[in-house]
Amino acid sequence: MSRQTNRGTESKKMNSELFNLTYGSLVAQLCKDYENDEDVNKQLEKMGYNIGVRLIEDFLARSNVGRCHDFRETADVIAKVAFKMYLGITPTITNWSPAGDEFSLILENNPLVDFVELPDNHSNLIYSNMLCGVLRGALEMVQMAVDVKFAQDTLKGDSVTEIRMKFIRRIEDNLPAGEE
Amino acid sequence: MAVCVAVIAKENYPLYIRSIPTENQLKFHYTVHTSLDVVDEKISAMGKALVDQRELYLGLLYPTEDYKVYGYVTNSKVKFVMVVDSSNTALRDNEIRSMFRKLHNSYTDVMCNPFYNPGDPIQSRAFDNTVTSMMVAAC
Repeated sequence: MSRQTNRGTESKKMNSELFNLTYGSLVAQLCKDYENDEDVNKQLEKMGYNIGVRLIEDFLARSNVGRCHDFRETADVIAKVAFKMYLGITPTITNWSPAGDEFSLILENNPLVDFVELPDNHSNLIYSNMLCGVLRGALEMVQMAVDVKFAQDTLKGDSVTEIRMKFIRRIEDNLPAGEE
Repeated sequence: MAVCVAVIAKENYPLYIRSIPTENQLKFHYTVHTSLDVVDEKISAMGKALVDQRELYLGLLYPTEDYKVYGYVTNSKVKFVMVVDSSNTALRDNEIRSMFRKLHNSYTDVMCNPFYNPGDPIQSRAFDNTVTSMMVAAC
């Protein structure tokens, strides 16, 4: 694949079916390779992490957003710029904890799950867990340790998809974390 | 509307068959099974001339005393067969056509589910709902 030379802020259109089927076949293959769903979830998270630590460079280069001063600003950038740029959706931010270190991203429709129906024998699978990994990896590269997990999932019968993000601490030293 | 809906694979084994529970299921299985010969006949009769036109709807396969059997075949040779109560005369060809199109769309979604292996029997809630809506609309 040739390297793109003109990386602007404009987003290129991509066929959503192709994207859906690509991610779907990846998850389905992982389900075949690993015996239980927890391992698949962990693996998806790890892949997402590896995407996130790279994607953040692309994001910062293209979006021209400056440094965030608090976690609320970070949340705004994630929802309004990052999700918009890479997935074409804008989740809403709600359920702030009183301390302001924890919030929820509500996805009205998750673009990853258009055709998916979870089979009965994979009830513990968190299909879109890669998103958690991406968020964790990306924020880790900007000195923020966060905990990301799914609180609700439309695949499991909930009406919306909810991603819960919790700020843990600032990473003080700038040493890169070890490869996972 | 429909009393029985069936999806049959390219190799002529059933992927999905459901009929209204009040009637004898076996009877419908038999009806659908017999219709497959007519489907094959229609496909070969169409020959090459019609392949280009992409007409997937096969029309009325055959009428029985109580029921009418309609057929539809996708480009990948998956067959849909629908048995309709013949007392329902209000049902126009166009409506049958649109029901098949709905069924086809729903089938496409099932195929796109990454957890569905092509060739397996269809076990999908979304597809079930589509079929149910077509059967309830009638009764």
